[in-house]
Amino acid sequence: MTQISAILEKCAGSPPNILATLQAVQAALGYVPPESVPQIAHALGATDSDVAGVLSFYHDLRTEKPGRHTIRFCLGESCLATGCKASLDAVERATGCNLGETSKDGKFTLEKVYCLGNCALSPSMMVDDNLYARFTPQTVVEILKEHA
Amino acid sequence: VKVYVSNDSSACAVGAERVAGALSKLKDVEVVRTSSRGAFFLEPLVEIDTASGRAVYPNVQPDNVAGLLAKPAMPFSEITFLSKQQRFTFANAGVTEPLSVKEYGFKALEKARGMDPQKILDEVKTANLRGRGGAAFPAGIKWQTTKDAPADQRYVVANADEGDPGTFSDRMIMEGDPFRLIEGMAICARAVGATKGYVYIRSEYPAAIRKMRAAIGQALEASVLDPKTFMLEVFVGAGAYICGEETALLESLEGKRGMVRPKPPFPAIQGLWQKPTVINNVITFASVPDIIARGGAWHASIGTEKSKGTMPLQLAGRIKNGGLVEIPFGATLEEVIFGFGGGMPTGSKFKAVQVGGPLGSIFPESLLKTRICFDEFIKAGGILGHGGIVVYDHTTDMVDLARHFMEFTADESCGKCTPCRVGSTRAKEILEAMLRREGTPADLALLQELGETMKLTSLCALGGLAPEPVRTAIQYFPDEFKAR
Repeated sequence: MTQISAILEKCAGSPPNILATLQAVQAALGYVPPESVPQIAHALGATDSDVAGVLSFYHDLRTEKPGRHTIRFCLGESCLATGCKASLDAVERATGCNLGETSKDGKFTLEKVYCLGNCALSPSMMVDDNLYARFTPQTVVEILKEHA
Repeated sequence: VKVYVSNDSSACAVGAERVAGALSKLKDVEVVRTSSRGAFFLEPLVEIDTASGRAVYPNVQPDNVAGLLAKPAMPFSEITFLSKQQRFTFANAGVTEPLSVKEYGFKALEKARGMDPQKILDEVKTANLRGRGGAAFPAGIKWQTTKDAPADQRYVVANADEGDPGTFSDRMIMEGDPFRLIEGMAICARAVGATKGYVYIRSEYPAAIRKMRAAIGQALEASVLDPKTFMLEVFVGAGAYICGEETALLESLEGKRGMVRPKPPFPAIQGLWQKPTVINNVITFASVPDIIARGGAWHASIGTEKSKGTMPLQLAGRIKNGGLVEIPFGATLEEVIFGFGGGMPTGSKFKAVQVGGPLGSIFPESLLKTRICFDEFIKAGGILGHGGIVVYDHTTDMVDLARHFMEFTADESCGKCTPCRVGSTRAKEILEAMLRREGTPADLALLQELGETMKLTSLCALGGLAPEPVRTAIQYFPDEFKAR
């Protein structure tokens, strides 16, 4: 909570920006603890429901601790056209989690994303900030092994 | 010897970073990291200087750089994918270092500073520059409205929430030629009297975010931007397709839920924090420096009657040569897909093409003669949108694809309009039932009716156009739907 206080001190600009504040909290903690909503609302001069509303709206914002690595698997049209579903199956088998879940060992959180802007070299996925392209069900599993 | 290797994130995703590393270990080799040409099917692409300009080594891998430079390089003219394009907005792609202020020059901004603001605006009007984000609205009219709206504060906002799957031209500009966007925005700010600007970039583009921030910092340091007259900032999105819609983007920029606002009032009059705001797509702003440098009449001399200038088309999906093609408006889809794009990869047969992202129509082979310009696409029952072209091959199941579009809409609807929020979910359920072969004869009529309702009663283009790919998939591939 003290970590959140420090962030809030920096974010309480005028006018305060709820989204930017939640992004700052998530950058520091990896997620936004739901119990911190009243504290954030108070610091920004907003209501709890304003803050909770923004928190629930954006796909990026999470309320649970994620795995050590976040896989953003693209399900955009170009990736679908190049057979990404078979690679997604392979990723799900290798990590033991479905889209939206975190693996039991806490290593990976698997999320779906619509487009990473790598469409000329589909299929695509991002592990943390690293972009991967043109993988197959075989090579995609090798990519995951590079991440400890 | 100098060699040029791209540091674009797509190029790096197929090994450009490792190739550059391997080359830098060679004796007497200096590696320069440029932007990408956009010929992604040739990446990692290594270039060298020759007496007749750059020459290239395509598809280089880290383990074959040794001895590479002893082999003859391919002359640039032999790569017709690139040599047949007419590049203006992407003139620097693959040529310059993205973060070199000196190389970029900022000549157009310098010229604009010597011009009366209304004269700048008149050039943009003469150019007949239409918005490249999808709506194709004339930029000059937008700018004039903001300029003429009485206000103590005006804003300039770049819509860099490039959410349409199949598009990457904004990303290429931000990663590869960020000063062009900055220059276009600064010229606009001078024309309309704005002192503050934002670049709203989607979070899926971490490299573009880093590059834009670094470029703004460099422009300030080099005194190209003066914070007293124009302050520019990057704002990062949080993964919501709807924030590409201009009013939802402004709500998001204010830190709120990205909910669509009813129009009017238009953002040009009441935009960010209710102040007059010019909000344009990245490519629209990036087109401005050339218009100022060469004149509006120059721009108006290129393209078709109502679509002026060039369009950066983005070839993706099942296609041989994926990448960026900047050409004047007016070529046919066929020329682009089978000429520049090289047609289908071995073993694949063309089935359909979708232009304009997830809100764009599905076109069968019979519509490949459609000319690429805003009006012809509308006439053919589609949209050109942001210029994304995704090709589907014979293995594509149209019912499953239709289901995907409705799942996408259900995931990404802001929820404000009931037909979009609920209609997309119901349509998805109907299509899921069809995929389980539990469809009934009434389903197709019901889908049609849902689509009509969404179209007629949604506030924005997401609800209004999302039924289009489904409608056209049914129209052109009816047997696949009837069989379920």
